Amino acid sequence: MIAVLRRSYSIVLLLIAWEAAARLGYAPPGLLPAPSAVLVATFEDATNAHFLADFSVTMFRLFLGLAIAISLGVTFGVIAAQSRLGPLLLEPLVRVLSPLPKIVFFPAFLLLFGFGSFSRVVLVVIDAIFPALLAAYYGARAVDEKLIWSARAAGMSQTACIFRIALPAALPTILTGIRIAIVIACVVVFLSEMVAPEDGLGNVMIRAARSFETVQMFVPLVVISLVGFLLDQAVMRVRNAIVHW
Amino acid sequence: MARFGENLPKALAPIAVTAGLLALWQGAALVARSSYLPPMTEILPITVSLVGSGEIFPDLLSSLARLAAGFGIGLVAGIPIGLISGRNRAVEEFIMPLLGAFYPVPKAALMPIVMLWFGAGDLSKVLIIILTVSLPLIYHAQQGARAVDEKLIWSAQAMGCSSLRRLLIVILPASLPEILIGARVAIVIGVIVTITSEMIVRQSGLGNYLFTALDMGQYAMTYAVILIIAVLGFLLDWLFEIMRRRLTLWAPDRQGIEIAVTS
Amino acid sequence: MIILEGVTKTYQRAQGGGEVQALGRISTSIKGGEFVALVGPSGCGKSTLLYIVGGFVPKSSGRILVNDAPVTGPGPDRGPVFQEFALFPWRTVLGNILFGLREQKVPKPEAQSRAQRLIEMVHLKGFEHLYPKELSGGMKQRVAIARTLAYDPAILLMDEPFGALDAQTRTMLQDELLAIWERDTKTVLFVTHAVDEAVYLADRVLVMTAAPGRIKADLAINLPRPRRRDELLRDANYQNYVIEIGHMLDRPAAA
Repeated sequence: MIAVLRRSYSIVLLLIAWEAAARLGYAPPGLLPAPSAVLVATFEDATNAHFLADFSVTMFRLFLGLAIAISLGVTFGVIAAQSRLGPLLLEPLVRVLSPLPKIVFFPAFLLLFGFGSFSRVVLVVIDAIFPALLAAYYGARAVDEKLIWSARAAGMSQTACIFRIALPAALPTILTGIRIAIVIACVVVFLSEMVAPEDGLGNVMIRAARSFETVQMFVPLVVISLVGFLLDQAVMRVRNAIVHW
Repeated sequence: MARFGENLPKALAPIAVTAGLLALWQGAALVARSSYLPPMTEILPITVSLVGSGEIFPDLLSSLARLAAGFGIGLVAGIPIGLISGRNRAVEEFIMPLLGAFYPVPKAALMPIVMLWFGAGDLSKVLIIILTVSLPLIYHAQQGARAVDEKLIWSAQAMGCSSLRRLLIVILPASLPEILIGARVAIVIGVIVTITSEMIVRQSGLGNYLFTALDMGQYAMTYAVILIIAVLGFLLDWLFEIMRRRLTLWAPDRQGIEIAVTS
Repeated sequence: MIILEGVTKTYQRAQGGGEVQALGRISTSIKGGEFVALVGPSGCGKSTLLYIVGGFVPKSSGRILVNDAPVTGPGPDRGPVFQEFALFPWRTVLGNILFGLREQKVPKPEAQSRAQRLIEMVHLKGFEHLYPKELSGGMKQRVAIARTLAYDPAILLMDEPFGALDAQTRTMLQDELLAIWERDTKTVLFVTHAVDEAVYLADRVLVMTAAPGRIKADLAINLPRPRRRDELLRDANYQNYVIEIGHMLDRPAAA
């Protein structure tokens, strides 16, 4: 615990300075509430049914979107890496689609699918699928060819090869891609709820902004950032544990 | 091993893909017959006219101006910080946790908060763009500086090169390949945060134009603007990639993967 | 010119405490204009010793004096040449050579002419505007040598400079180095693990033991100068030196 604090002392310093500024009157609570106030508000919200409802909605969209993006992305990525046609189709597609700011398609989804969860999940999927797919593709491609050849020579089928050799070997890279996908998904789901506010954590923030409840503006932001941070750290630990064989 | 289409020049493939996607769209639109999904034949002319007539220019330029300002400042501030933190343990230990803490935060979501302090105008948006693009710039500058061959530094030291000069004429150029990768990531993220912040706080810019079209029920126009923004993002990325290659012709070829970290 | 007294170097182990002693007490002196070779088994610390003399790596104890002044850091009086060339990849051949001249505040026209002379001296005329990426290993090392010579250090510190080159290029550069040295009377400290190279080039060979490195032997090489490869290869003295030093390296670390 001490080691963690030592390594992140600048954050601790920042928080202390921020708290001090608030308490000493340099920061009006309407403009910059103290971290302690935000913390208290977060705990209060955690037991508030309305907030929990919004939180659950956002989490539902987040996890559904991630589940789809990761499973599709990894599957396609690994298959494309092992096939002959794959690279030919995949590389130009990625070159065209990757640099596009995907959030720009959100209004189209709103038109086509309405203002509910579906549009937002679709947005999460198209944003999060790229890092997962690319990580799986490059990870599987980097797998030593000789491993595959030996397996094929021993009679293993193409499919079995994909799932029992390429996939496990590419796992560390894939997990890194998943980390990126997770953070992107958290950001995107929150933003989608701010841009077209209906419900969810992003909407909580917009509502608070409209009624000038400054502390309440910080809470959903802190919550989604924390969710992203924790998930990212969790996957990082899994990856580091795996890399040790 | 003869591969299907191996003779297609590599440059054609993205064009083919784009054409394919547009054709797919057209097909889907004709099948769906919904006013929410206008066909490309309706969208493309509007796109052309928006650009041709210059109607979209005020908003386009205002978005680009903010992006340029935010990116420029982020570059000038972020690169030195990154380079120094790559060579100085103390600076690194100070900076890295802050970067790590800000990484999962949705930067465009800071708009309402930043607006409280700086108003709803360009300043808030530019500040957020600066914050957003700084992250990859600092990170990549740091990575580049860290990886500089010790012997290059020793050679410069033996020549009587002071610490500060070394940063400028050895560490900076040596880190340039990595910095330019960071710049490419940064511009893509920069476009995203610019557009998104304009969608959240609707004042001017392409994001605002887009949602206005949506609100007014001009569906084909909405898609046209989407297309324009998408192309803008693509062009900027392409531009930066070309710039990266031109500026680092001297660099030995990179091994390893470039994962597209974009959203 | 270079005096070492009781120089040691200890490293802290990265994980799990404890220290590693890379260099035992090293004491020796090198006269101005001498060509001294430093040989030893891998990991004996010979490169470390070179870096300490150069001021790139701090010593753990002892004294080092260069021209009666203690070594506190790198300086233009001790010019390094590294095995991996360490050229600035973003600068051309000419740009690399001009680098040191610029740092030494040599005015432009003089710097240009000095650089041109050096380029000719290392037989790279016509290649001035190429980038290191476009050069062969031998050419890169020539640039590295020219770059170091540009700021005219009194001492050359060479760390297995020809180790990464093929045999033919190596012998060619050895002769070129000797030619340069004979003209300029520089002091050279030359680290290598190739005994024949050491004997061929040097006035004196210092043999080091395995880690912690100490100087096991200090042999004067009494072979005629200028060194003629064809003659030396047949010379019994040359062969004896090579064999004798080779034996010293074969034997396990002596106290």
